[in-house]
Amino acid sequence: MSSDPPSAVSRCTLCPAGCEVEAVRTGPGTWRVDVPREAGRGCCPRGSALVELMTHRRRILYPALRAARGCHATDLNVAMRTILSAASGKGVSILLDGNVPAEQMAKAAAWCRAWDDAAISFVLEPTDEQLLLGTEASGAEYLADEELATCDGFVIVGDAFAANPRCARGVLDRRQENRRTPVVAIDPAAGTAIKFATHHVDVAPGGEADALRAVAKAAGAEVEPPDVDDPSAQTAGRAITDCTRLGVLLAAEYARDADWRQVGYLAGELAEAKGGGVAPQTVGANALAALRVGHAFGARTLAESLADTSRVRVAVGCDPVGITGRGEARAFAAAAALPNATTELAEVILPAAMSSELEGTYLLNQKTITRVSPLLSPPAGVMRPAQVVAALASAAGVARPAPAKLPDLTQRIAPEPPQRSPTPTADGIMLLACRQAARAGSGALTGHSSWLSAAEALPELTVSPEDAAAAGLKHLAPATVTSDGRVVQVRVRVAPELPAGRVVLPEGHPPVRSLIPCRADAPHATQRNPISLEH
Amino acid sequence: MDAQTQTQTEPVIRKRILIDMDRCVECRSCAAACYYTHGNMPVVGSACSGAALLPVLCRQCKSAACVEACPVEAMIRDDNGVVRRRLFKCIGCGSCARACPFGVLPTPDNPAAGAPAGYRSTDRISGHGMPKCDLCEDRLVEGNGDAVPRCVAACPTGALAFADEHEADQLGLEVLGGRTTGDDPFKRR
Repeated sequence: MSSDPPSAVSRCTLCPAGCEVEAVRTGPGTWRVDVPREAGRGCCPRGSALVELMTHRRRILYPALRAARGCHATDLNVAMRTILSAASGKGVSILLDGNVPAEQMAKAAAWCRAWDDAAISFVLEPTDEQLLLGTEASGAEYLADEELATCDGFVIVGDAFAANPRCARGVLDRRQENRRTPVVAIDPAAGTAIKFATHHVDVAPGGEADALRAVAKAAGAEVEPPDVDDPSAQTAGRAITDCTRLGVLLAAEYARDADWRQVGYLAGELAEAKGGGVAPQTVGANALAALRVGHAFGARTLAESLADTSRVRVAVGCDPVGITGRGEARAFAAAAALPNATTELAEVILPAAMSSELEGTYLLNQKTITRVSPLLSPPAGVMRPAQVVAALASAAGVARPAPAKLPDLTQRIAPEPPQRSPTPTADGIMLLACRQAARAGSGALTGHSSWLSAAEALPELTVSPEDAAAAGLKHLAPATVTSDGRVVQVRVRVAPELPAGRVVLPEGHPPVRSLIPCRADAPHATQRNPISLEH
Repeated sequence: MDAQTQTQTEPVIRKRILIDMDRCVECRSCAAACYYTHGNMPVVGSACSGAALLPVLCRQCKSAACVEACPVEAMIRDDNGVVRRRLFKCIGCGSCARACPFGVLPTPDNPAAGAPAGYRSTDRISGHGMPKCDLCEDRLVEGNGDAVPRCVAACPTGALAFADEHEADQLGLEVLGGRTTGDDPFKRR
């Protein structure tokens, strides 16, 4: 008889909300997910998929080496020796997932500090990293989901409702209480949030920072004048002029050409001027903690690590190839729970625990320090992220360092205010990516969800009626998107609210990012190739 | 049979799942929760209506076409007024799915919830499985009065509520308003 408990309750850490999830034992070693019994707490498709992903049949359970005819299983010591042999005389660059408990980050950083040949970086979505650097520089208060209902006006940049559906509740509660509450949406991809907005600022992709500047200026905040003073931005700014507690919800979307650091800073300035705060909806619950822990330990950014081609890269729990859409971000060794774009290219593949199998501290909603227990234990032989780094360092002869002291996660970092950057312009049809409640980040994990395969076998291409007519595309019919020789099969969704000249795909569908690869050092400089749409 | 006689003889469902379309952010949390907790035989789906993506939920009709269409009385209304499928009697013919006027039960032409009609199960004794919402009876029976069906519990925005339809106004629920039309979400045709 199994000694496993009949159920385990923990939190989903795939977005800042930290919703409650329950794993219910259905038999020896078999589990299914369950959601809270009472209404009001919620659990989006990402959280509902967690148990299936943890017990997935494609789970990586043993080390493997790539050979001419695929991968073959090996022993951990051989895998470590292979990595160290490749790193001999070059050094190692550890890329650790930024959405693990803070203790895991601190332990891994302590090992790398004791190891002369190693450097570490905590991997965040490049857009999220820039956004958080901006909000940190602004000094604005962070608002939790439940605090949003206390605001008397809202500005939403990007599709924050798709990034974290629970943050919509506070906005909708407030709107239900007072139908005149202004909700300003700035989203060139016309996502879910604009359907609930009282004011929609018409902005071209990449113009988010300038649009926010125009709104802030019209609302009476002390900011520089915008490049383009759009009438819709002025109207929206006037609507929030009288707000005394403004909530600014932010989702830094992939491949929008926006200067997210500027957006974060301006959002903070506007929120401060209106007595409110910001609510960045990052990928993963611990993005801000990763930024602060990284600052405390002197960790490198993802961009610095990718620019350093002299060291051998080891990706632990993260997917740099999937995140950037670039094969150049490949790692020599990749530790992961499930196959992803980085493990597909790595020479050494190691098993690693998922974040929901780890115990430790998270900074939920960017402000609430929460101890999260593991939903289930990792499978036998599967190491936690810090254990992977420790095993590699130990194999290199590094002595165990003193226990790492966790920095104060509530201590803000104070980066320099960002420099103003020009608003980009673009010609032709632009392919944009958008957040989706069913997919997390680049889709490295949620791409394995069976529900997504059943409910959305093809990703949805949102297209305007004009572009659909020009390309001969029909609503709900299959089509193909081609760019730079890469082809993605899609299902068309014609959206009248989307302006012509833009088409949108979910950023968490794994092949999508390879169509529009980004630079980790400048996520606003998306590499855009001409695209074609065919039915 | 007049309406008064019918209410005396037919069990009446006490609470229903109500949808406030003004709060639905199209996240499909309801569909995912249903899928993962019902052995991959989901009964909550989603469907495109114009540019909107709407949840598709069983309305527990007062005069249920699926019950009338079932040739083997596998689809019944139980003592609590809930329309449910009797596992051992279902032959997977799909009559109920074709009779449903709202397209809630999946058919091969309309796999709204992701499972085709007559889905031949490999892990059920009857060998057939027609997904049918029973309002998550397991948790309603086990739980206290606060327990709600899984789709309602999973809804992060409060668009779904489990309540007496006659108390919707008192509860401040705007069942169908704003972006949608119609005055009775449970009315047949």
